[in-house]
Amino acid sequence: MLLSNTKPASLSKRHILGIEGMPVHEMMGLLARASEFADHPKETFHDCLRGRTIVNLFYENSTRTRVSFEVAGKRLGASILNISVAGSSVKKGETLIDTATTLNAMHPDILVVRHNASGAPALLSQHIDAAIINAGDGRHEHPTQALLDALTIQRKFGQIAGLKIAICGDITNSRVARSNLLLLGSLGAELRFVSPSTLLPSAFDDMGVDCYTDLEAGIENCDIVMMLRLQQERMEGREVPSQHEYFHFFGLNAEKLHRAAPNAFVMHPGPMNRGVEIDSQIADDKLKSLIQTQVELGVAARMACLEAVAQHL
Amino acid sequence: MTENTNETLYFHNARLICPASNRDDSGHVLVSDGKIIATGGGALDSLPEQASHIDCGGDILCPGLIDMRVQSRDPGAEHLENLSSLFAASIAGGVTSLVTLPGTDPVIDNAAMIDSLYLRAGRILGPNLYAYGAMTKALDGERLAELGMMAEAGAVGFANTKTSISDALLMRRIMTYAEMLNLPVIHHCADTALSAGTEMHEGATATRLGLIGAPAIAESIILERDLAIAELTAVHYHAAHISTAASVDALRRAKDKGIAVTADTAPPYFTLNEIAVSNYDTSFKLNPPLRSEADRLAILEGLSDGTIDAIASDHSPVSLDDKMQPFGIAASGATGLETLLPMTLQAVHNKSLSLIRAIEALTSAPATILGLAGGTLTEGAPADIIRINMNAGWVIDAQDLQSLCQITPFAGQPVQGRLTGCWVNGIDMHAQGETM
Repeated sequence: MLLSNTKPASLSKRHILGIEGMPVHEMMGLLARASEFADHPKETFHDCLRGRTIVNLFYENSTRTRVSFEVAGKRLGASILNISVAGSSVKKGETLIDTATTLNAMHPDILVVRHNASGAPALLSQHIDAAIINAGDGRHEHPTQALLDALTIQRKFGQIAGLKIAICGDITNSRVARSNLLLLGSLGAELRFVSPSTLLPSAFDDMGVDCYTDLEAGIENCDIVMMLRLQQERMEGREVPSQHEYFHFFGLNAEKLHRAAPNAFVMHPGPMNRGVEIDSQIADDKLKSLIQTQVELGVAARMACLEAVAQHL
Repeated sequence: MTENTNETLYFHNARLICPASNRDDSGHVLVSDGKIIATGGGALDSLPEQASHIDCGGDILCPGLIDMRVQSRDPGAEHLENLSSLFAASIAGGVTSLVTLPGTDPVIDNAAMIDSLYLRAGRILGPNLYAYGAMTKALDGERLAELGMMAEAGAVGFANTKTSISDALLMRRIMTYAEMLNLPVIHHCADTALSAGTEMHEGATATRLGLIGAPAIAESIILERDLAIAELTAVHYHAAHISTAASVDALRRAKDKGIAVTADTAPPYFTLNEIAVSNYDTSFKLNPPLRSEADRLAILEGLSDGTIDAIASDHSPVSLDDKMQPFGIAASGATGLETLLPMTLQAVHNKSLSLIRAIEALTSAPATILGLAGGTLTEGAPADIIRINMNAGWVIDAQDLQSLCQITPFAGQPVQGRLTGCWVNGIDMHAQGETM
């Protein structure tokens, strides 16, 4: 099938390493294209990436992002190779650059990388010929997550500009928060971060984000309440006293959600920790929760990214 | 006990001292429903009917003492000090509000423990009781305690007891979190490595006695570190029982820099020095240890100029069995609630401290530090009031102390200035004591 309303998004750079530095018109182009892909969730577009090879190189565990890229690539007609850290030579002591060089010799077209070190995709991009898409690097960026979040919001509200969006939880360790700040902020949303002070770098305040340490005050009149999980794997362990206290003060439940705008929606990039940052009643509320929509639209957002990157190949 | 009396009390012929309103003059105080409703010079022109007259005979009338560092032993070691004996000692010492440390068994490290303490304290007629929550679970110095839940339960700050938080990252977390909760962090400063196994202050006396000395820097190293973290986190940091000249110097610099820091010391550190230990008398074994004469003088100077904001009793009951040991093995600590006022007044009589500054350090300073009601004779304040005869001389007799712990470094000390009345929320606590 061919899409008729939009053209493949056009990017000035070869790689998608982050939202930082991406011009607004490119963001809009990706979102427009993704939205049209989303209008045809059952269709395939095999001509887009026919004959192309995508390598999913995941140094961190992932279910939804990896599968989402895989589905996206397959619907565009590419061949996909999944390399997860457990079965790779990384376990045998190979450095990131050596792995990249080895992979490079096999001439992949697009490398989708997730790594626990901030900046790892940027490092790879200097040593490999393939186009790199950052699928999450440490605490730095997760650009395709931000795009799918923006897509979800845009399709629900019609536009992003002027919306009040609260991103709540472990901000320090969240690449989702950083990418969303850049993307949603560039698109005109009014962003707030809500987090315990131990998980909220004061530099964000200096960057002009409205920072709150009180969940109810932070989500007041917000159109979107985006919850993040405590990223225990990136935490030192003493940022919060206990999950019990964290849920008491920072967990979202129906009662606290009343403080948000009457038609507010709840989002979560997943995986959720029920009873830690979000109450099940909210997570499973089909009228309030956009969490399943986010997963669904993730495929369309990644299709737009893969297609855009392929334009340079 | 928060129960108020409906009685109207008219205190007159008193020397009113209220540092919060900078008052030191002859006047009266009118109390009704447990609150101060009027304070003024001279006598009141028209009195409400049925007011009980209390002629103070020229005695000082000032806010009740607020003791911001008290170790209760209840729960866990009620034979050393239970809430009733603690309250009796407070009232005997003119302490109308006290703040207890978390070092009980179990440790006060969660909301339920704070709730329970407040509930039990509310059943006993006595001073107002407030509690610090432990900074770390079980005071282990490793795991952040549920500070937020304790704040909700009414903790007035977060404290350790006699082991400093040695992990700077953990201290940063505690301070950042406490700042969010808008509550102070109260720290006993002693570098654990430098003070481990020490028996007294390091110096000539320790050398002569063959005791292992803790250097003064054990305190100031941690204090200096804490002040740097306090500046970074913007928390209200409070240094507890400061005992060295270097610490006073560090505090002075921090205050000049605008860091939100306050501090207290205790009477032993401005009335005694290391020489008191010469006879291996374990009632002088305290933590921090008695320091050098130069340190003592620096503490007095710091108190006088306000570098050290408050004076606390550092009441720390210990058992006689643990004290009747060779000096090095003996427990540190002593009773303090009942010697807080007379030993502070000694510094006043010695002209080391002005009377109004001394009363401030015992009343309005701790009230301000912890945001507590009281510490003032102004209208609307709770009627927590004490009366002092400045000229009455007496000798501190350990056996007369109401505390279950009668170990004090001030036993046999002749003092001048005696408590002649104590009211909490307008209730005459000394009359209550007589009828009980």
